[in-house]
Amino acid sequence: MAILEGHRVTKSFGGLTAVFAVDFEIEEGEIFGLIGPNGSGKTTLLNLINGIFPVTEGELYFLGQRIDGLKPHQITRMGIGRAFQIVRAFEGMTVKENVLVGSLFGTKKRKDIGTGMKEVEEVLDFVGLRAKKDHKISEMTIADKKRLELARALVMNPKLLLLDEVMAGLNPREIDDLMEMIIEINQRGITLLMIEHVMKAVMGISKRIMVFHHGRRIALGSPKEISENEEVIKSYLGERFARRHGAQKDGGKT
Amino acid sequence: MGRTGWLLIGGGAFLFLLFAPLFLRGYWLRLLTNMFMFGILAESVNIIAGYCGYLALGNMLFFGLGAYIVAVLMAKFAFSFTLALILAGLGASLFSAIVGLPILRLKGQYFLMGTMGLLELLREITTNIPLTGGGQGITLPIFPGGAAAANHFFYYFMFALMVISIACTFYISKSKLGYAFRAIKFDEDTASVMGINPIPYKTLAWAISAFFTGMAGAAYAYWMSYIDPGEAYQITPSIKMYLMMVLGGGGTVIGPIVGAFFIEFISELVWGTFLELHFLILGLILVLVVIFMPKGFMDLLRKGISFSKLMAGVKENRV
Repeated sequence: MAILEGHRVTKSFGGLTAVFAVDFEIEEGEIFGLIGPNGSGKTTLLNLINGIFPVTEGELYFLGQRIDGLKPHQITRMGIGRAFQIVRAFEGMTVKENVLVGSLFGTKKRKDIGTGMKEVEEVLDFVGLRAKKDHKISEMTIADKKRLELARALVMNPKLLLLDEVMAGLNPREIDDLMEMIIEINQRGITLLMIEHVMKAVMGISKRIMVFHHGRRIALGSPKEISENEEVIKSYLGERFARRHGAQKDGGKT
Repeated sequence: MGRTGWLLIGGGAFLFLLFAPLFLRGYWLRLLTNMFMFGILAESVNIIAGYCGYLALGNMLFFGLGAYIVAVLMAKFAFSFTLALILAGLGASLFSAIVGLPILRLKGQYFLMGTMGLLELLREITTNIPLTGGGQGITLPIFPGGAAAANHFFYYFMFALMVISIACTFYISKSKLGYAFRAIKFDEDTASVMGINPIPYKTLAWAISAFFTGMAGAAYAYWMSYIDPGEAYQITPSIKMYLMMVLGGGGTVIGPIVGAFFIEFISELVWGTFLELHFLILGLILVLVVIFMPKGFMDLLRKGISFSKLMAGVKENRV
């Protein structure tokens, strides 16, 4: 069953069309990758799903319920969590307080601070930030901030988790750790929609991948199909990538 | 300094102020009453600006509104002070909710301009309708029992209201409400993706702020027993209460009170000696505060005062 469906989803900012007539279906339980050059509309699509921007045209359905037109907080409480690309942790709050906000407000359940804090501890354990729970945001490394973004999204008990370039700025070891964590999250039954530029990660763990170029969907398929798709190679992956991955149907010019 | 140290200082100050009228008279009581009043005003700005991040520079509008509600109800309709006072607080809150719906959509300096505009608007309306006595102002019934009784009454009234406003802020800082406010202050989009509906929270923050400001204005009108539009909707105290909050530390419970006491006291000293230099000196204090301790006096106290900390403040400013 599709957990999230988009029908001809379109977003224009004045004369600029950032996302144009995109159709997609994300299956429950899968890891769905979203790739494309910078400025191709990937983050805009996440903002549409979240309700941060209203869609210009088209429809979005989450578990069969229409969600375009709802406010971000309503969409969050239905079960769509989000980890931002640029870490947006609340400065001036500690790590655990940051996660607590998600726990207190991110679900339909009403909770007091005590119950919320218990959930926070569990999630911090999972992402490996327990020892740093009283740290200030300004004292944290990029890798830890990314984990915090993940913790803030996870504590809201999402059914679908939107990850926006969580690997960006990490070193190879940190990327491996985070990949493991993402697979574990997925195994717990959470569907993932992941924007990623780190090809090793997105090709390695996605079940299916959608490719954007200038706001249009130019391909959708398994990682293998995507890495062999001529249009994708031309507009995004580049021939070096294609060669390295042995998909040289079109790449032998040099 | 530990927790017990703070409690001792707080408790000592509370007891001193509670019994001060036994050994202080006239001028000093009025000065302290004024300090309490500005404490209430600064704490009220703190709730909307310090916690919720909305630059309510025109918050004096609720002071004027509260003052005029009490004045009109007591002078023209013979209401008792108690009833008029409650209606003044509620009226200011209700007004903040009504105007808040459109203007709380504005952010940053646009909201700031919006609140200043409302302040001007209310002054013009008050000056031009007969019910409020127009530009001539309005005289309230005199407090029964003579000057000494009035001094004591308003001293304890402002003191109690200030303590209540501190307690209310303390409660907010420890509750879910406080987390919502601080999340909205940081970034409204992020807050809403974390499941917070910003509209009811920021409306509530402003309504609480308006409630205390309106009550303070109401008591002030009765205390002075005369009010006119120029004074009730004055811009200077509006800026002053904001400055007090910044100086003491926005988003802390006790900071705005410390800021209010400090500025009111300095103000009184300077005012007495150099009438012309008054604003120059206040302005200088503001500049120094913003340069050396952008997070306010409380933050500095918590970290310990030292030269290196002051310079760190300067660095933090350079974004």
